[in-house]
Parts: sequence; C-alpha cells; structure tokens
Amino acid sequence: MTTVSISGLRVGYGRRPVLEDLNLELGVGVHGLLGPNGAGKTTLMRVLATVLRPDRGDVRLLGQPLSDHAGLRVARRRLGYLPQSFGFYPRFTVREFVEYFAWLREMPSAAIPLAVDRAIERVGLLDRADDRMKHLSGGMLRRAGIAQAIVNDPRLLLLDEPTAGLDPEQRVEFRALLRELGLDAVVVVSTHLVEDVVAACTRVGLVDNGRLVFTGLPDELIAAGGDGDSGDSPIERGYTAVLRGAREAAR
Amino acid sequence: MNRVLRVELRRGTAPAAALAMFGAGVWMLAVHVDHWAGRWAGLANYFRVSMLILCALMVAAGAWQAGRERRRDLDELIGSTPRPGWHLLLVAWLAVALAGSVGVLVAFAGAAVLVAPVATYGGGGWWWTLLVGVVALGAATACGTLVGRLSPLRVAAPVAGLATYLGLAILLYWDTTAAAWLSPVNPGWGVHRVVPDRVTAGQAAWLLALTALLLAAAARRWRVSALAGAVAIAVAVVIVTGPGPHRLPADPGAVELVCTDTGPQVCVSRINAFLLDEVAPVAQPILARLDGIPGAPRRAVDHAAAPARTQDTPDDGTVWLHLDQQSTARGGLASPDGLRADFRAVTWPQCPVEPGREVNQQVYLVSGLAAAWLLDEWRPTDPALAPAPVDPALESLRALPLAEQRAWFAAYLDAAARCDVPALLHLGRPR
Repeated sequence: MTTVSISGLRVGYGRRPVLEDLNLELGVGVHGLLGPNGAGKTTLMRVLATVLRPDRGDVRLLGQPLSDHAGLRVARRRLGYLPQSFGFYPRFTVREFVEYFAWLREMPSAAIPLAVDRAIERVGLLDRADDRMKHLSGGMLRRAGIAQAIVNDPRLLLLDEPTAGLDPEQRVEFRALLRELGLDAVVVVSTHLVEDVVAACTRVGLVDNGRLVFTGLPDELIAAGGDGDSGDSPIERGYTAVLRGAREAAR
Repeated sequence: MNRVLRVELRRGTAPAAALAMFGAGVWMLAVHVDHWAGRWAGLANYFRVSMLILCALMVAAGAWQAGRERRRDLDELIGSTPRPGWHLLLVAWLAVALAGSVGVLVAFAGAAVLVAPVATYGGGGWWWTLLVGVVALGAATACGTLVGRLSPLRVAAPVAGLATYLGLAILLYWDTTAAAWLSPVNPGWGVHRVVPDRVTAGQAAWLLALTALLLAAAARRWRVSALAGAVAIAVAVVIVTGPGPHRLPADPGAVELVCTDTGPQVCVSRINAFLLDEVAPVAQPILARLDGIPGAPRRAVDHAAAPARTQDTPDDGTVWLHLDQQSTARGGLASPDGLRADFRAVTWPQCPVEPGREVNQQVYLVSGLAAAWLLDEWRPTDPALAPAPVDPALESLRALPLAEQRAWFAAYLDAAARCDVPALLHLGRPR
C-alpha cells in the first residue's frame, strides 16, 4: 500500500534547484535514502516532514494532500521526525521532552504517559528518563530525539542521520528498532552509512544532484556494483556504480 | 495542556522570571517602605508604581522564553507537528506571566502581612488597582513574547526590557494628561485618592486587548490581531478623551476624620488612623504652645482630609499634617521631625509673589526665628543631623518672660498675615 506519494516535485533555494522533477512512491517498510552530500536528501526529508513547502509538484502523505490545511494537520498527527540538526531544551528531563512532543503531536492526554514511557524504553533510555537533557551524551541525545519521533506511533517516520553519535552496540539495537517500526509504518532513513541500509532497510533510494537515480531492494543496489567499482563492501560498490552510471547518463 | 504548563513552569523561563520578580518586588518594597506601610491602598498603589521595573522584567522574560525555540534549533522539529503555533505560544506566555506574577505577589504578600495588623481602612477598591497591575504584567509578557518571536537573539530580551523601562519612564512625564491612563505605571498619587471605576475598567480592557493583540501578532493570527487591535484602539480613544489623573477625587471613607479625645485636637484621616497615637504626642505640645495666642491655629488635621485646593498655610485655625509617607513598616511614625516641620507653615509670611518685586530676605530670617520659637522642643532625633547653631536673636527672645514671648509671637502672626514688612523687620531686631 502506497502511503507516501510524490510526483513532479521541485524545490529550489532561490534560482538553484535542489530537487528537480522527483517522483517517489513509498509503502510500509524501512526505506533507506542514500546520496552524496548536497544531493538533496535532507531537502527531501524536510518536504516529507512538511516543514519545507515545494515550489511545484504534488505531495501526499498517508493519503493527505499537503496543499490542504486540514489534510496537512491530519498527516502531521501521524508523522514522526528527527531532523539532522536536532535541538533540545537542556533543562527538560528526557521524559518531559518526549512528553512535550507527544503534546505537540496532539496525542490524547490520557495516552501520553504510557506512550512516553514506551518510547523511552524502546530507545533504551528508561534508566535516564528523569535526567536532564543537558546531562546526556551525544548518543543519548540522539536516542532521546528518536524517542520523541516515535512517541505517537507514527505511520510515517522520518529519520535524518539517526545513527550519528551512536556507538556500534547502539547502532545494532537501533537497526532492530527500525525493523520493528517498519513492520506497520513507512520509515524513511536518510543516512551516509550504507551498512545501516543493508542491515535494516527493505528498500533503498539513491538521490544525486536533486534527482532520484535509483529505487529498489538493497540486493538490487548490491547487484549493480562490480569488482571494478570502488568501495570496501558490495553495497558501497553498488552505490558508486549507480552514481557513476547516473552521472554518465546525465551528460 | 496542564501537563505541559507544569513542565514549562518548572523548566522554562518561568522559575527564573518568578525569582527575578520576587527579588525586584522585595527590593522595591524595601526602598520606599513609607509609600505603602500601614495602608492597603498604599500597597496597591505602590505595586503600580513598581510597574516601571516589573513590566520591564516581564518583557525581558517573555522575549527570552519566546526566542527559545529558534535559539535551541527546535523550530524545524516543532514546525513538523500538528499543534497550532498559538497553543505553544499561549502556554509559554501563560507560564512566564503566571510565574512572574506569583513571584512579585509573594513579595507583596509579605508586605501585606505587615500591613494587615496595622491598616485602619480597607476600602477604596485597592484590589482593582492590584488586579489591573497583574493584567499589566500579562500584557508586558505578551509584548516580550512578540519581541522574542521577531528576534531570537539573546540580546533581544535585555534590550527589550531596557526599552520598556525607558518608554514607561518617558510616559511618566505625561502623567497629567488622560493618555497617562494607558500606562500601567501609577505615578504615585495620594493613597486617599480613588481612581474612578470607569477608568479602572477602561485600563483593564485596554491591557487585555493589548495582550490579545500582541499574542495574536506573535502567533501570526492576523484576523484576531486586527480584531484585538480595533478593540484596543477603541478603548484607548475612550480613555484618552476622558479626564486625566490630576485632581482625582478623595475617597470619602478614607478621609473620614478620626480625632483625639483629649488635649488639643489632632485629627487624622481614617486611612492614616493607625498613626494617631504617635502623631498626637508630637503635635499636641506644639498646639498647646499656641493655645490662646490670637491668630494661632487651634488644631492639626491630616492634609489628606483637606478640601481641594487647600493651601498649607493655616487660615482657618488648622495646621495641615502630611502623613502620606509617614509610616514605618510596622505602622510607626517614620519621621517625627518631618511632622514637626509641618508646623512651620504657621509662621509663613503671607506675602504675595509678584513679578519684579522681591520680598526682603530679612523677612524670612524673622520667619525662621518665629518657627524656631514655636518648635522650641525641636531637637533633631536623627543623630546624623548636627544640632542647630545658637541663634542670638532666638536666645534673646527666649530670655524674655513667657507672656512677652507669646505677645511677640502674636504680633508676628498678625504682621505675617498682613505681610507687613516693616513690622516684621521690627520684630526681628535684637531686644
């Protein structure tokens, strides 16, 4: 079932296009979004997060058109978002911070306490739930950020560089969480870490120069690479091969 | 919303605002105890005088709170949530306004504990004065909220606070025009005066409309802004076209006289009645000294009870005592020397001030001699004051028999009332 639908998307900063004529259909599952720096991944995530209005194109989230105010509000209620640059209120405790975002996502107040505890538990921060945010390490802050993103059991979860700052053990746990979340929600993970994509994603998209140059299964991306392509792992070789092919085709 | 409000009250700018407002309140109360001690109306009026500082602090606190999201890089994440922006804004504003108001009200409640056992008059609608002050604190926080939304810079909060202080201070220069009612700062009129209900209601409506306007503008709710703006302007026009704060009527209950039962009559107004037991021992010996002297006043009365435009100079046998700032925190007389000084009005020569015609300065020396004789008991109670130097004229006057001294004083009062300069100069010559 398609729950995210984008067609003819164009986003630019001034006259410079960042995303151009982008079409995308996403269903339930974990979707990895790969691409070099400046390719437009974060811009695409910001459009999906409804914080950036596209110049052109049609965007439907969870069946709701973003051009419609009421539809936008309905979509936002079922949306979870962890931006690349994640800010926080240092004096809030983890619990208070997550609770605050549960309120912002218009959760029924009676459901909030349980949902908050569950979200904090899922990111492994329950023992630090009453610690102030300013006393958390970088990895813990990132996990608190993920907790606020999943507190409302989102149908669409957008995670921009979610594993930055996590140690290897935490990344393994996080991938397990992603797989669990992807069972009944659309999870979009923008990342530089291709091994996260192999380990946790059901599908992968590759953005280059504002265009979607590849969508498919991780295995298909791996298969696109050959021994002659640069990279230390099969998926890295597939990644560089697809990029090279897209750039040659664009010339 | 209650849960989030609780979090904001604990973790947002609210605790710092409460602390700052409490500290400012205590400081303001400590600086001028005599302005509020012993009188409920005085305490409420002083709350409004303190608005000069308190509103500036609330503007700064509101600006700090409202700029928080952008300073903390949370605006994008919050922008992805469905809750309308004005909900956040309202909670943040409410938390700061509530905490700041509670902070300063706790300080004033401490003062109220001192006032309660002493106060002799509780009427006059002082609680409305207080309530409008609390509404003003909300408006100030809303103003800060708008500033914080417009500029996330850290410096915006202190700059906005300072600008508010200066703006309100400048408005105080227009305290005789009706436009002065638009300012939440009370310039400090007599505690026995009563602000008309119409004005109090207008001020409350103006401040509420202003709060709605500022919050709606901060939340970019333009229709609500326009509506609130229209209401604010309409109320402001009504206020500005009405009478100004000068010549406020006296509260009849507050100025009802309470007098001594024995000895020369000393009367104070009901609102200052707690001072009577300390005023009488100061005033009665002086009145006793004047007893029987032709033209001398026979009683001393609180100036708060004086009819409008009454001059300080006694012309109906009454000396007017100024008691508005004559109270210590526990209700005692703050300055007996200041009270005695009110009797100097008895000896003022009634010489009209005319352009191009100056009164002979020697007249004032004679006037000083008469006052020194009248306040014979006068010795500075403040040890910091040096004793008055020996005045040969006064010494020679005192050397006369008492009957002659009293005759001299009667002659002085007669000449002073007529501004008979030759007679006054004659009385000043050495005996």
